Amino acid sequence: MKRSRLVSAVALAAGAAVALSACSTSEPTDAAGDALTFMVFETPALDAAFWDTSIDNALAGLPGVKVDKIVSPDADRNAYAKQLQASGQFPDILSSINPKDFLEAGLLQPFDRSWLEENFLQPHGNDIDGQTYIPPTNSQVIPLVFYNKQIFADNGIEVPTTWSEFEDVVAKLKAAGVTPIEMAGAEPWAGSMSLVGLASADVLGQDPDWIQKRYDGKVSFADPLFADAMQKAVDLVQQGAYDPAALSVDFATANQNFIDGKSGMYPMGSWFTGSSYLTPEQAANIGAFPWPTDDGKVVIPFNIGGTTSVSANSKNVENATKFAQAWSLDPQNLAVLVETDGAYPMMKNLTLEDFGVTVSDLYTDTYSLVTADNTKVSSFGWVNNDDALAPGINDLFYALSQSFFSNTDVAGQLAQLDADWDAATGK
Amino acid sequence: MSTQLAAPRRTGGPLRLGRRGIGLAPLAWIAIALYVAFLIYPIIQSVITSFTDRNPLKPASSFVGFANYLELFQDQRLLRSLGFTLVVVVFVTIVANAFGLMFAMLLNRSTLNYRAMRTLVFIPQVLSGVIVAFIWRSILTQNGLLNVTLQNLGLTDAAVSWIGTPELATLSICVVVSWMTIAFSTVVYTASLQSVPAELYEAARVDGAGAFSRFRNVTFPMIAPGVTISVTLGLITTLKLYDVIAVLTGGGPANSTKSVAFYLIDVAFTSNRFGYASAIAIFLLGLTAVIAYGTTGLLRRREAHL
Repeated sequence: MKRSRLVSAVALAAGAAVALSACSTSEPTDAAGDALTFMVFETPALDAAFWDTSIDNALAGLPGVKVDKIVSPDADRNAYAKQLQASGQFPDILSSINPKDFLEAGLLQPFDRSWLEENFLQPHGNDIDGQTYIPPTNSQVIPLVFYNKQIFADNGIEVPTTWSEFEDVVAKLKAAGVTPIEMAGAEPWAGSMSLVGLASADVLGQDPDWIQKRYDGKVSFADPLFADAMQKAVDLVQQGAYDPAALSVDFATANQNFIDGKSGMYPMGSWFTGSSYLTPEQAANIGAFPWPTDDGKVVIPFNIGGTTSVSANSKNVENATKFAQAWSLDPQNLAVLVETDGAYPMMKNLTLEDFGVTVSDLYTDTYSLVTADNTKVSSFGWVNNDDALAPGINDLFYALSQSFFSNTDVAGQLAQLDADWDAATGK
Repeated sequence: MSTQLAAPRRTGGPLRLGRRGIGLAPLAWIAIALYVAFLIYPIIQSVITSFTDRNPLKPASSFVGFANYLELFQDQRLLRSLGFTLVVVVFVTIVANAFGLMFAMLLNRSTLNYRAMRTLVFIPQVLSGVIVAFIWRSILTQNGLLNVTLQNLGLTDAAVSWIGTPELATLSICVVVSWMTIAFSTVVYTASLQSVPAELYEAARVDGAGAFSRFRNVTFPMIAPGVTISVTLGLITTLKLYDVIAVLTGGGPANSTKSVAFYLIDVAFTSNRFGYASAIAIFLLGLTAVIAYGTTGLLRRREAHL
């Protein structure tokens, strides 16, 4: 009897200990004890071997520093970082997150301004309230409009420079029995490229401060400037610019459809110029032009990229920062992004030749849009600087690209987006 | 004068039952502790959080009273998600149980072949929802197996947008979840059918009852407990649906296939609104409890009546 009670008591104590440990949010421990944690995400181009090699390269000049890799379960590393934070396991270094989400809690460490000035062409490119939390190592144009040169030539189509010319191209392609615009509609982030182009070129092209004004409550999505841009997206759908089954097309299928000549144009991010999407032979038959505007003014929806952010609460902020800096300056890391993912380098002390990469003419031609003196605006819904949208709004904006297929009430949907924005910003 | 019967002598290993053994009490305490730690405590924590404006990325949160619960009933996106979820629940409950019962009756034999076929029918149940959704996604996309087959047979001229319109995407989700759930229902009904005494069928045959009459008057009343189990567990599982949607449609097109659970995750980890997400979670818990208890009560009364 006594023994039974004793065992019961021990079991209860053990159970209680389990319960309490389940309730705690203690810092994670690792085998190495003092190893830093680096949250990464894997893609076909940025596979496990890439990350392992890049970590080893960055650690080569940092004796005594250890780094453990944490892999995000999917591409949404932002959500995974939030889950890790909620469970008390926020990593020391994080790859390609949206810093704005994490700043209110003071979770990120800004990079040294002199280091940024010394190493990058646009040291303020990723600024949020005057501080940089991701080194501005590379850039993208989101979207470009890729086109099939052979299909254009066969149908006597010239590259359009204005919106009306673009609509004419859509009509000609449709008449020729070619799907005018390829759309990866099953995946909102990819299917929304036309909307991103319209919001960037038409809205930010006319009012570069529009997003800041939205934060201040001075403009709204339902205003004519934004609504007119979105009406163009609806018009494209009604014009038959997309395959009727476009919302069942995933990203990989859309890429293949366009490469196979099933469609004439494909609005997509400049990563499409990379070797993980196009062989040199395929790239030779593809050209690209900026998203067209009403008056023909060239507006480039620009996104400054980068990878490493540092936790302000890291167990060793100094070493975490050194690792993040070493990782960002290593040309081997950026070379992989340049070659496979079409990243345009933004390094002050390195030329394209320094990376030792093989790139297509399509990449070189589109890179000239980055280096040229033209109007560059934030790529709407993609940037990670002051112009980043409120939490959750990116996804809701992308989803409009799908809803415009079945719901043409632009005003009503933008009013809902305004309400969502206000809820997200607590107004 | 009473006669006392000697208690049978107990034998056994280290976990002997009874006064001289250790007994199961310690294991029960561990089970209770785990239950409290991983179920009761999180629920209590969620209830507390649901009365705050907690954001996981903000240092502090405030008590907001019933504001989150009031927002629930004005949130058009949540109401749409709830509508979609209930459509799937009703569809899956009816289809999975109807087909589950049909398969169970077809496979209600003891031969090796039938046992092997029952195993095949059960396979969807042992696959994870994510794997099932990936398989079906490859079938339902623009150039997927279904469209290619239909076009090769000349049944359609162009690809059908199975996951690209709100209506067809909803139907696709319903079919895929039903396909998974039929397996479970089949197993439950097979077990129920095997517990029906053969003498009842013999008696019914002697009385001249036909196949339908035997089903209506013998089979259906006798498998009533199986119906209760299959319907209730199917309802609970479908109300919490997340994984299939996340892979197959991602909640699209245009948020038309977002279940309540999917929307909850969005609110928590995309919009950073843990307080509101907790209120949605408590709402879903309450809804599931009400539907499950209501259904169980109705079916139990039916069992008693039969």
